[in-house]
Amino acid sequence: MHEVEESPLDAYLRADRIPHIWCSGCGLGIVTGAFIRAIQKSKIDPKLVSVVAGIGCTGRIPGYLNFDTFHTTHGRAIPFAIGLKIAKPELHVFVISGDGDLFAIGGNHIFHAARRNVNITVICVNNFNYGMTGGQVGPTTPEDARTTTTPYGNIEPAFNLPYVMASSGAVYVARWTTLQPRKILDSILEALQKDGFSFIEVISPCPTAYGRRNAQKDAMETMKFYQYKTKVKHGADPKEGDISLTGEILTGKFVDIQKTTYMDRVKMLVEKANKKGA
Amino acid sequence: MATTYIIKDDEKTKKWKTPHGELYIIKDRCKGCSFCIEFCPKKVLVESKEFNAKGYHPPELQEDETKKCINCGFCAMICPEFAIFSEADAQSKDIAQIPEKEYPIPESPKIPEIKKARDVLTGEHFWNGDVAAAEGAIAAGCKFFGGYPITPSTEVAEHIAERMPQVGGVYVQMEDEIASIAAVLGAAWGGAKSMTATSGPGFSLMQENIGLAVITETPCLIINVQRGGPSTGLPTLVAQADVMQARWGTHGDHEIIALAPNSPQECFDLTIECFNLAYKYRTPVLLMMDECVGHMTERVVVPERSKIHLVDRKKPKGEPGKVKIYEADEDLVPPMPYAGEGYNIHMTGLTHDERGYPSTIPETQERMIKRICDKIRIHADEIIRYEEFMLEDAEIVVVAYGITSRVVKRAVVMAREKGIKAGMFRLITLWPFPEKKVRELAKKVKNFLVVEINYGQMVLEVERCACPSKVHFLGKMGGSVHTPEEVLQKITEVTK
Ligand code: SF4
Ligand code: SF4
Ligand code: SF4
Repeated sequence: MHEVEESPLDAYLRADRIPHIWCSGCGLGIVTGAFIRAIQKSKIDPKLVSVVAGIGCTGRIPGYLNFDTFHTTHGRAIPFAIGLKIAKPELHVFVISGDGDLFAIGGNHIFHAARRNVNITVICVNNFNYGMTGGQVGPTTPEDARTTTTPYGNIEPAFNLPYVMASSGAVYVARWTTLQPRKILDSILEALQKDGFSFIEVISPCPTAYGRRNAQKDAMETMKFYQYKTKVKHGADPKEGDISLTGEILTGKFVDIQKTTYMDRVKMLVEKANKKGA
Repeated sequence: MATTYIIKDDEKTKKWKTPHGELYIIKDRCKGCSFCIEFCPKKVLVESKEFNAKGYHPPELQEDETKKCINCGFCAMICPEFAIFSEADAQSKDIAQIPEKEYPIPESPKIPEIKKARDVLTGEHFWNGDVAAAEGAIAAGCKFFGGYPITPSTEVAEHIAERMPQVGGVYVQMEDEIASIAAVLGAAWGGAKSMTATSGPGFSLMQENIGLAVITETPCLIINVQRGGPSTGLPTLVAQADVMQARWGTHGDHEIIALAPNSPQECFDLTIECFNLAYKYRTPVLLMMDECVGHMTERVVVPERSKIHLVDRKKPKGEPGKVKIYEADEDLVPPMPYAGEGYNIHMTGLTHDERGYPSTIPETQERMIKRICDKIRIHADEIIRYEEFMLEDAEIVVVAYGITSRVVKRAVVMAREKGIKAGMFRLITLWPFPEKKVRELAKKVKNFLVVEINYGQMVLEVERCACPSKVHFLGKMGGSVHTPEEVLQKITEVTK
């Protein structure tokens, strides 16, 4: 084993900011790594990669990425990304943010972005709670799970993210866990090959705020839980993807379709408005 | 997960061989999660006894005849710290790798450029204030409008929706006002002049992201066609009760630029001016219209394109990659890079240093706040615009702005007819407040009268600056405009 100072990923990391702030065993670093590898493999011009995030532990990912990166307000990454994409359609615009940011405070936006089929790729890291604020219940927290604001167990049903995204109109929907980094990478590449609203959910351990309150004493236990409970089923009906506290986690690519994108429609509109006699 | 490769020599025999990997580690990055150890398919990693700088035990390699690293790369992918990776060793380098796949990445359609776009409608028009503001924006080169319908600003959005595609711009009706302003900021970083228009409730919803525009120094325009509040208040009727919200609506220390037009012509002119200020000082700018100005229809003269002065961003001079994106010039304004230009921008709403990196150091906060406030403060004289009417010999100064100033002007004339030496000081720039000018006036004039459609807002600023003169107030809670007679009566009363 050779001791070195740099990793091959450092070219796309703001290496002067590493080590990152995330806890030991947190899955966010795995997602970050998969994202960088996907960009490297895709051979797209890194200059044209823009990554937008909201607030939270996941919201810190762009800050470590050496692309154009935008750390916006809580919940508002999606509309910011839409503005960015429209202003400069040649950009590859990604939103990487957490489950609370995208589906609670930002819920309104993500559904409409999928409906419009706007040309962005969203990677939602789902760790089932608000990690940065210390582990409160969120829209993806499984029923009965314990968080700091559900000390008796969560009484609310959770969102099934692939299902809501598929029904809102996303053209690409997949779900993986951080134990499937190659799948995450491949999915990002597939999403990049779709010019429309693509959505990838990554289930990720949050040992500090969530796992240890729910019978997973450390990140390793969570990863082993994924190892035993993950089922891969491509083309599965995302409706079957509900996640319970101790049940199976359905992963795979659920939606991969083609539809007219928002930018296609904008282009047509501008042409229509400028036709003679319009 | 292990990947096997074909050794070139064996291609004929199709004999599969596995390569061997060399492992590399950045020990001090390791946080001891053991993922690499547990999930290595060959189980060649173990926890070492040594401590790294953070007090964790980084992994070490333990190969023997039965187990060797196969260069599968999984440890690198599963390591959350970018601390470990493998490379094919010298011998395995000869192994023909499985050819890299090509990934055809589609490009999104571009918005067609419109040659000879009718963006400046030179000539005379009969427009209401909302339409005039929309035309001002288009003449200023605005190419993105994110909006949400709200009375009495809806006509801005409607007119823009019709006109934007004609000039190759985009109107998006977002799902709410928060989305509208967030999209406006995104568009600005993409290099499009961008704006939104709203009224009280929407303006309230936008405040957090106006703060984001302030701290990230994002140029953009927000129009507020004011109506009565609080809350839903008087959706269809006039007020000027958001002027303090304009100043302090978003949390934290900041300066803001806000202008108040009093005619459709000024709605056109000042919209252009707002964009110029936004780009000159890299800051959000507010155009504080009111329902009456927005809905009144008057003659608007649009000059020739060559007569319209436009300010663009200051482009970074240094090489991409080397520029600190928040390093300001002498004028305290940093040049603005756009996404896609190679500057590796990091924009954050967190307190940040000159590189744009988040920081929790109090000195960084101090430096940042001072600069983003001072870049407006030191240029206050350049920014501030006002109108003086019959002030030379005035014994009472009536302060007004927006629609109210039109009534006050009439009242001042009526007062003069009665022999009262009245004059008007009209605020065109609300913020920064023209305090120097008010202080100057206060040296000569004993009485100030502030007339506004609220229960006392700008009057507080006048009181702050007009000492030792007396400051009187004539308010209206909203829903209607003062009559000249009401103002005249108050002038008469206070000058008795
Ligand atoms: S709190 Fe949870 S999500 Fe946040 S860094 Fe720690 S482990 Fe990761
Ligand atoms: S590359 Fe890493 S995970 Fe793969 S065999 Fe070698 S040590 Fe194990
Ligand atoms: S996966 Fe990375 S952080 Fe975890 S033990 Fe291995 S080297 Fe250390």
